[in-house]
Amino acid sequence: MTGRPDEPPAADRSGEPLLRVRGLKKHYPITEGVLRREVGRVRAVDGISFDVYPGETFGIVGESGCGKSTAATTLLRLEEPTDGEVLFDGADVSAASKAELKRFRRRAQMIFQDPTSSFDPRMSVGESVAEPLRIHGMRDRDRRRRIAQDLLERVGLSADDVDRYPHEFSGGQKQRIGLARALVLNPDLIVADEPVSALDVSIQAEILALMRRLQEEFDLAVVFISHNLSVVREVCDRVAVMYLGEIVEVGPTERLFADPQHPYTRALLSSIPTPDPRERGRGIELTGDVPSPSDPPSGCRFHTRCPEIVQPDGYEFEQVHWRRVMDLRAKLDRGEVGRESALDLAAAQSTATAGATDGARATGTPPDEARAAIRRAFDLPEALTDERAEAVLSEALGLVVDGDSDRAAALLAKEFSTPCERRRPRAAAVDDGWSATCHLLDGSRRSEGVEPLPGRED
Amino acid sequence: MATDAKPSDDASFERVDWDALESEFGGLSRRQTAFLGAMAAFALGVAADVAVGGPLPLLGDPAPLDWLFRLTLLLGTFYVVLPLYDDPRMTRHYWRQFKRNTAAVISLGYLAVVFAVGTVGPTFLPRPELDLLARRQPPVFTSVAADVPTTCAGEVVNGMCHGTWQYPLGTNAQGHDMLHLLVFGMEVSMQVGLIATAIIVVVGTAVGTSAALFGGLVDEVSMRFVDLLLTVPTFFLFILIVYLYGGSLFLMILVFGLLSWGGVARLVRSEALQRSEEEYIRAAENAGASKAWILRRHVIPNVSNTVITAATLTIPFLILAEAGLSFLGLGDPTTFSWGQTIADGRGELAGAWWISTVPGVFLFFTVLAFNFLGDALRDALDPRSEV
Repeated sequence: MTGRPDEPPAADRSGEPLLRVRGLKKHYPITEGVLRREVGRVRAVDGISFDVYPGETFGIVGESGCGKSTAATTLLRLEEPTDGEVLFDGADVSAASKAELKRFRRRAQMIFQDPTSSFDPRMSVGESVAEPLRIHGMRDRDRRRRIAQDLLERVGLSADDVDRYPHEFSGGQKQRIGLARALVLNPDLIVADEPVSALDVSIQAEILALMRRLQEEFDLAVVFISHNLSVVREVCDRVAVMYLGEIVEVGPTERLFADPQHPYTRALLSSIPTPDPRERGRGIELTGDVPSPSDPPSGCRFHTRCPEIVQPDGYEFEQVHWRRVMDLRAKLDRGEVGRESALDLAAAQSTATAGATDGARATGTPPDEARAAIRRAFDLPEALTDERAEAVLSEALGLVVDGDSDRAAALLAKEFSTPCERRRPRAAAVDDGWSATCHLLDGSRRSEGVEPLPGRED
Repeated sequence: MATDAKPSDDASFERVDWDALESEFGGLSRRQTAFLGAMAAFALGVAADVAVGGPLPLLGDPAPLDWLFRLTLLLGTFYVVLPLYDDPRMTRHYWRQFKRNTAAVISLGYLAVVFAVGTVGPTFLPRPELDLLARRQPPVFTSVAADVPTTCAGEVVNGMCHGTWQYPLGTNAQGHDMLHLLVFGMEVSMQVGLIATAIIVVVGTAVGTSAALFGGLVDEVSMRFVDLLLTVPTFFLFILIVYLYGGSLFLMILVFGLLSWGGVARLVRSEALQRSEEEYIRAAENAGASKAWILRRHVIPNVSNTVITAATLTIPFLILAEAGLSFLGLGDPTTFSWGQTIADGRGELAGAWWISTVPGVFLFFTVLAFNFLGDALRDALDPRSEV
C-alpha cells in the first residue's frame, strides 16, 4: 500500500480483498426435551456475502437483533458457522485446522461493546493487554510488559497504568485499553462490535478519532458494526445494511446514504434526526412487527413491513393503503384479528367517541359497525380508490365479522398476493460495488433489470 | 528472542517476529517451575516411603495421612500464599476489607496459633502415655477433693488437691497431660479440616468449571453424578467402612473429602457459567487461547471468591463431624482427637470436670473462629465491593 493523503482512508480496492465472506450462515437450533430434539432454528445470520479490502473500513448496520453481532463472531469463527465460507487472505477460515486458526487469530482481532465486561477484573490492564502475546508464545515477561507500556502510551494512556486494574478506569479509557489489546498482535483486521455504543457522545468522538489514527498508522482493515447510522457515516468507507440475518444493500457509504436504493435503507436513514427543521417530519414510519428470525417471512424478508411493497397485479392501490391492507392480512394470518377482537374494537371505539352514556350500545354492535372498527384500527379509508379492490376488502371484512377469519385470510391471500412474498429477491447491481436486494430493482418488475451479483442467489 | 532489533525497539509490538514464537507451551514461569519441583520432591518422598517401608532419613516414618497433609500444605502455599505475596496491591486491598471485621481478625490470629501449634507441636511433644500416678490432676490455680487424683502432684491443703504448673491444664483419667492432648487434638482437627477441604475444593472446582466451560454432555453427566453423590448418606457409609476396616482418620478424611464436593461443584458451575458469558472470555478466545488456558487464567481466578468462602465454611463442619464421630467411638482409636477426649471425660464430669471442658472449649472456639473467618472473607472478597 502506498502512502495515502490525509483525506478519509480511501481503501485500495483494486487488489485482492483481505476478507471474503460468502454465503455465511449461523443458525441456532431450538431444542426441546432431554434428547434435545431440534424443533426449529433461529436464523441469526442467513447467507451474507461481502468483501473487505486492506485498509478499508466496512460498516454493518441494522436494527438490534438483525444478526450484526452474530455475523461478527461467526466470521471470526468464535462461533462455528452453519454454512458458508470465510476467506482471509485467500485461506478458508471456516475449514482451518487448529494451528491455522491460531495463526488467523493473530491477524484478526476484535473490540467489544461493553468495556466493563471485556476485561478480567482479576488481571491488571497490563496483563490483559499482554495476554495475547503470552498466548502466542512470547515467554519474556519483561518484554511483554514493555510492549504493554508502549501500547498504552500509544492509545493515550500512561505507561504507569499497566499495574492498575480495570475498575480503576473510565469507560472511554477502558475502550482505549481494548484497542491496545486488539493491536498488540499487530493484526491486519479488526472487527469492532459496537465499539462506542456504551460511551458518552463526547468520548465517542475521541475513540473514533483514535481508531482512525491507528487504522491509518497500521494500515488496518476494520469491520465496524453499529446501529448508529451517524457514526457509521462518519467512519465507514463502505457499508452493508442488514435486515433479519440478510444483507439488503451494500455500497459506498456516502453514495448509499445520499441515494439509498432499498426501501429498508430508506426507512433506516430517514430515522436519523436532522438539524434542518424543513427536513423534519419526513421520516418513514415502519408498520407491522419485527418478525422473529426463528420464523422469517417468505419471499423478501422485509415484505411484512416494507412501505414500498409491490402491488398485486390488476389492482391500483394508494401505496399507503396497500401497505395497511397487507398489515391486516398479516394479522389475519396470525389469527390476531377475528370476530371477537373486531367486536371488542368496535365497542371500545364507540365508547371512546360517543362517551360512556352510550356504552350500552356496545353490547349489540351491528356488523357494519365492527367492519368500520377494523378499518379504523388499521387506518384504512372508508373505501379504497380501486373499486375491485374495495369489493374484495369488504367481502373479507364481512367474513371476519361473521367469524370466518380463515376464509377471509384465504381470500385476501388469493386476491392480494405480491411477488415480494412469493419470491426471494436477488441482489441487483446499482453501480460498481453497490447492490441492493429488492424486487423493485432486480428485474422481476423492471425488465431492464441488471445482472445479479454472483454468489448472492439462494 | 529471534528479533535482531535494537533493545529500544523490542518494546514495540510491530517488531515482534511471530514466526519465531509459535506456541503458548514450551516453557514455564518461575512459579510453575517451583511448583513442579515441589510436586516432584513430594512424589519422590512418597515413592521412597513406599519402597523402603520403614523409617526414612530426615523424613522419619510418615503415615499416609501425613503425606496427604503435606500435599495440602503444598497446595495451600502455591495457590493461596504465593499469589497473595506476588500481588501486594491486591493483598493490601483484601486486607483493608477484611480488617473491618474485628471478630474475624481475632479469629484469624487464634486460628493461626492453632494451626502453627497443631502442625509443629506433635513432632516435639512425646505421645501421651498411660501414667497411673498422674491421673486426674486438676489444672493449675484450681483445686479438687484430694480423693479425685490418684496421688496429688501439687499441695494438698484442707483435703483439697491444688493444680501445679507441671500439668497446667490437668490430666485425664489415664494420666495424659491435657495440654499435650490438646495439641495432638489440634493436629487432628487441622488435618481433618484442611485435607478434606482441599479435596473438596480441588475436585469441586475442577468438575464445576469443566461442566460450565465444556457444557453439553460433560455438563449433563457430571451434574447428574453430583445429584447422585448428594444422596449418598455419608454417615452410614462411614459406619460401614468402620465395620469393615476399623476406625481410621485417613479413611474418614477420604470419605468426607470424596463425598462432599458436590455442593461446591454446583456452586462453582453456576458461578463459572455466569463468568463465561463475560466478554473477557470471548476476548481471550479471540486472542487464540485454548480452553485449558481460559479455564486456568480466567475462569478459576474469577470463581475463587466463591470457592474460598465455601471452603472456609466447610472446614468447621468437617471438624465438628470428626469430633462427633470420635465422641461416638467411631473415630480412630490411635489418635487423640478432641471428640474422643471429650467422650473419655464424660463419665468424670462430677469429679474431674476439666477433662471434657478443656477440649470442648477449644473445639467451640475453633468452629466459631472458622465461621467468623468465612463470613468476613465473603464480605472482603465480594467482587461487587471491588468497584
